[in-house]
Amino acid sequence: MKEIVILSGKGGVGKSSLTAALAHLLTEKGTRLTLADTDVDAPNLHIVLGAEFDRSRAVAASDKAIIDYEKCSRCMRCVKACAFDSIIGDNEPIIISYSCEGCGVCALVCPEEAVSVQPMENGKINFVTSGAVRVVAGELGIGESSSGRLVDIVKREARQEASLNGSDLLLTDGPPGIGCPVIAALKGSDYAILVSEPTPSALSDLQRITEVVRGFNIPAGAVLNRNDMDEKSARITRDWLIRNEVPLLGEIPYDPCLPQALARGALAVNMYPDAPSSLALRNLHKVVEGLLD
Amino acid sequence: MNKKLHPEIIKHFHSTTFTTPIIGVTGGKGGVGKSTIAINLAAAFVANGKKVALIDADVDAPNDSLLLGIPLENPEPVTIMQPVFDSDKCTDCQKCVKACQMNSLFRSREKTITMMGECNGCEACYLVCPADAVGRGSHSVGTLYTTRRGDLTLYTGALQPGLAESALVVNAVKKAAFADADNFDIILVDTAPGTHCNVIGALKGAGHVLAVTEPTPLGAHDLELILSLLDMFAVQTSVVLNRSDLPGQQEKTEKTGRAGSVPVAAEIKLDKDLLAGYLQGTPVVELFPNSSAAKIFLDLADRLAAAWPDQKTQAKTKARQEQL
Ligand code: SF4
Ligand code: SF4
Ligand code: SF4
Ligand code: SF4
Repeated sequence: MKEIVILSGKGGVGKSSLTAALAHLLTEKGTRLTLADTDVDAPNLHIVLGAEFDRSRAVAASDKAIIDYEKCSRCMRCVKACAFDSIIGDNEPIIISYSCEGCGVCALVCPEEAVSVQPMENGKINFVTSGAVRVVAGELGIGESSSGRLVDIVKREARQEASLNGSDLLLTDGPPGIGCPVIAALKGSDYAILVSEPTPSALSDLQRITEVVRGFNIPAGAVLNRNDMDEKSARITRDWLIRNEVPLLGEIPYDPCLPQALARGALAVNMYPDAPSSLALRNLHKVVEGLLD
Repeated sequence: MNKKLHPEIIKHFHSTTFTTPIIGVTGGKGGVGKSTIAINLAAAFVANGKKVALIDADVDAPNDSLLLGIPLENPEPVTIMQPVFDSDKCTDCQKCVKACQMNSLFRSREKTITMMGECNGCEACYLVCPADAVGRGSHSVGTLYTTRRGDLTLYTGALQPGLAESALVVNAVKKAAFADADNFDIILVDTAPGTHCNVIGALKGAGHVLAVTEPTPLGAHDLELILSLLDMFAVQTSVVLNRSDLPGQQEKTEKTGRAGSVPVAAEIKLDKDLLAGYLQGTPVVELFPNSSAAKIFLDLADRLAAAWPDQKTQAKTKARQEQL
């Protein structure tokens, strides 16, 4: 089984829509695949696919410090020791759970053994079926931390799901950015598809994500979405890709059919098979099929 | 998972050591135009005669300098503690290996401790070592830039690609800007997308937050998430509806806002002047000050300066904060 991850650095460049369309086109041609939604902060692949959850399971993605106030002598040593400013209070220590890294330093310095670090349920794994495609999606509780660890869990579950249903491909919709969840989504992948659009911001983010992907020695290619947005920026992006030897896998024009289909909970490749974006996606899907050999 | 937060945590979120107002620009979904709105709002405040600090706290993808067309200046490293092991002093007790929750420490065959994985600088290894064999080194996780242009100062945090410590860079960039807070009339914070701890860290102290969204099902979904986060922290919020004429579901987005009784502060249509500014790296407020897009930002800045939305809503939020 191959693992491909779709990343972008910048949010909102059409990563989820592209993932969904590719998944649909690949299954149509007989590829068996499982999708992993690792944008655990805002998982919305199921919305793009117009599908509902089959089931969900709570998971503990973080370890967090907890104070036993019966034992606590209010010495406030833990407040000073926490390198992440995650314990506050003037007379009584209070743990700011969302920013606690679970490092255990407070427990180490506590003279009363009043602090313990415990796993905390702060996320969910959602299972979704859309036609022949199974989706494993992570969802981090609002205001929680440790998205990287949740992404690790999602990928593990998705690999299991993929091997159970005999998938040829695990396609991962990655989170935006370049930080910890992105690195978790990237790890173990055979290939990274980097989605960008022709704007100066998107190019800057493409450069940063390329650096990360290169750092992990994972081969990558780019997709230029909404390629007709700005001719000059498109040219600059293409030049940059050539100079840095990142193959351009495909280009997709801006297409008003996309938001229209999305608003109806349908995929544009299904609803408007002859729309310019759908034709471009069909070409791209052949290129991706080639990556599977 | 809408846990109730401890009232002290909410109070802590709202506490600042200065009186300069802070306005946050956020939005659950990426690419909805947070940065465009942040930089134009900053330019609008400047045009209205204010001294402005703009904090680019999207440290994974900091783009405000590109959109403003001002190259980053005054780089300073953001460093965290990283242990240095003294093999002469080490007694091979391995307490540090056990203490490291990141599982980053290994004892190699030569009986020396080496760091293999990520280190978040928690100092647990330093604290447990009985032999004084762990020293405090430092290690750079990102870069902080301070760029001044007239009445606008841009504070940018950039995470080093390949590293995971976004939260530490967010805190560093905010600390730098807050240290100069008294020099500004207003502080704007542009956050990363999402609803996680980095976004909370970036918004800490904000008296008003603009939640930017677009009228698509994804926009509506992510707006709901960010609004419940802001509600947990009792933050005064309003919605900015970007690309409001996208073929989609404007009603749904508006309904989400209404359900959380959050007013729509501004509506921005797909606009060629705005796009031109975006591509060219100049705020539309400067490029075409008389355009309708520029007027929206100038007007929004006026209303925010006049403690928008109104005293009544503010009093209500305040009462709620005190009640908690
Ligand atoms: S576990 Fe670490 S991060 Fe959490 S409160 Fe204790 S010292 Fe702070
Ligand atoms: S170090 Fe222990 S005893 Fe002291 S305030 Fe913290 S929890 Fe309480
Ligand atoms: S500082 Fe903390 S994370 Fe870093 S090596 Fe020591 S124990 Fe591990
Ligand atoms: S805790 Fe100190 S003495 Fe023990 S193994 Fe680690 S460095 Fe060596």
